Amino acid sequence: MNPAIEVEDLAKKYGEVEAVRGIAFSVGAGEIFGFLGPNGAGKTTTIKILCTLLQPTSGRARLAGLDVVTSPGDVRRRIGVIFQDPALDDRLTAEENLMLHAVAYRVPRGERAARIAEALRFVDLQERGRDLTRTFSGGMKRRLEIARGLIHRPDILFLDEPTTGLDPQTRARTWEVLRALRRDFGTTLFLTTHYMDEAENCDRIAVIDHGKIVALDTPAALKQRVGKDLVTARSDDPEALARLLSEKYAITSSATDGGLSFLVEEGDAFIVKLLTADRPKLGGISVRRPTLDDVFLSLTGRQIREEGAEGQFARLRAIARRRG
Amino acid sequence: MIEVVYALWRRDMVKFLRDRRSLITSLVRPFLWLVAFGFGLRASVKLPGAGDDFVSFLVPGMAAMTVLFSSMFAAISIVWEREFGFLKELLVAPIPRGAIVAAKLAAGSATATVEAGLMLALAPLVGARFSVVGALVSLPLLAIFGMSVNALGIVVAARMKSFEGFGSVVNFIIQPIFFLSGALYPIDGLPRALRAVVLMNPMSYVVDAVRGLCIGPHHFPIALDVAVALAAALAFGALARRTFNKMEV
Repeated sequence: MNPAIEVEDLAKKYGEVEAVRGIAFSVGAGEIFGFLGPNGAGKTTTIKILCTLLQPTSGRARLAGLDVVTSPGDVRRRIGVIFQDPALDDRLTAEENLMLHAVAYRVPRGERAARIAEALRFVDLQERGRDLTRTFSGGMKRRLEIARGLIHRPDILFLDEPTTGLDPQTRARTWEVLRALRRDFGTTLFLTTHYMDEAENCDRIAVIDHGKIVALDTPAALKQRVGKDLVTARSDDPEALARLLSEKYAITSSATDGGLSFLVEEGDAFIVKLLTADRPKLGGISVRRPTLDDVFLSLTGRQIREEGAEGQFARLRAIARRRG
Repeated sequence: MIEVVYALWRRDMVKFLRDRRSLITSLVRPFLWLVAFGFGLRASVKLPGAGDDFVSFLVPGMAAMTVLFSSMFAAISIVWEREFGFLKELLVAPIPRGAIVAAKLAAGSATATVEAGLMLALAPLVGARFSVVGALVSLPLLAIFGMSVNALGIVVAARMKSFEGFGSVVNFIIQPIFFLSGALYPIDGLPRALRAVVLMNPMSYVVDAVRGLCIGPHHFPIALDVAVALAAALAFGALARRTFNKMEV
């Protein structure tokens, strides 16, 4: 069986600007795969190429074995796309939007009404089917788009920043829906995000920066790669504790309010070692696993939403927008 | 395929019918011309081949003008749909681009023809006299004209990223088509240079045929008028389809 998505050496140039600079990855059927990176890293460009909306400058991309450049029609039948900005006809009702989609994707006539009702129920909008979508809130529109993505039961569902701009409650609800989608229909999900906590929902993550994949692994393995946990200890005698750490364990620590903090591999095991050792009195101790924020920082030397990065990419994004 | 075209056509028609205001405002322009221009010049101008009744003479030109403006501006839906994202949903769907264009042309032309029909139905209220049968027979021809204009509008709209840009380019195109079409004057006896330009304008043939059918006098054989209208619709339709095929979002 073909992988759901196979990408080889894919590149896209807008004039002189290289938005995507030779990326390669493959996504298995039924996988939830995330593209994580700052704005302008090349995420949306990649998704548009995979969805047949943009021609790559070079390289290949295949979906279920079908080339996106040479068989766009076959690819389009198998995918669903939920765009970053709403792509609903806001002067039609929710049901009209879904019906148009059902016809466009050749859902058998007899099944349409049932699928529409089912999809609306799935996203909890069954009461609003007859309302014009212009009256919907941002979260409702996003949910309706997810419903629309379900109507034709795509093998692969693309989601570009699926929860950007949504409140935390709606984000959580959206993720419930997405996980149910995989569970109930075995749908492969490909999503882009610049939210670290959202990336945690993925089976695997490609970290993308400046149009290149800088790391690709499971969230846990990526965090493992940072390796160390952050331990924070409170103590009446932080100097003595710091001395002990550096002499006995060769750990450099830094002072915090009422104590100190340091990075160490397998922090939980280290705490036990520290507690049983001959040590100054401790007021408290905590250990924090590395987050994907720490991963991104360690891979690129930058925070994902650092201002500098934004400025650097503003030009690229402006070009991308001009191109549509 | 036919079902998709119908569903997309229906979508535009539903929105057209939900928006009554644009239907009413579309009637203002032709009636303003009929009343201000028709009555204003009726006493002082006698046109060869136009007879005495300048208001009735203007009616076919006004019907064609209604179609010209309405179909051309109907194409702004492409700019609208790009701005509000729906175009992406259409382009990523497994629908042949030709089907999207066909639905657009059918809807743009249908709404314009409805408006022209309404304008013709109301024209007797300001004293215009013409053949009802001729007007009814004219409607399919006006619909064909509407398709060619809408196709031209789509070619422009596909390249535009803003409403303002579309508006200014379209006005630039629409004015010469209207004024150099014989909608306001007979083609006989025009200066040679002007006549040459008018002969190159497909709208001239549409106006000529509608005038012939509604009030009698016409310049070209009606068969030629119909042939030119069809050829223009096919040519611009093909151009619109090519534009859509190459469109990226």
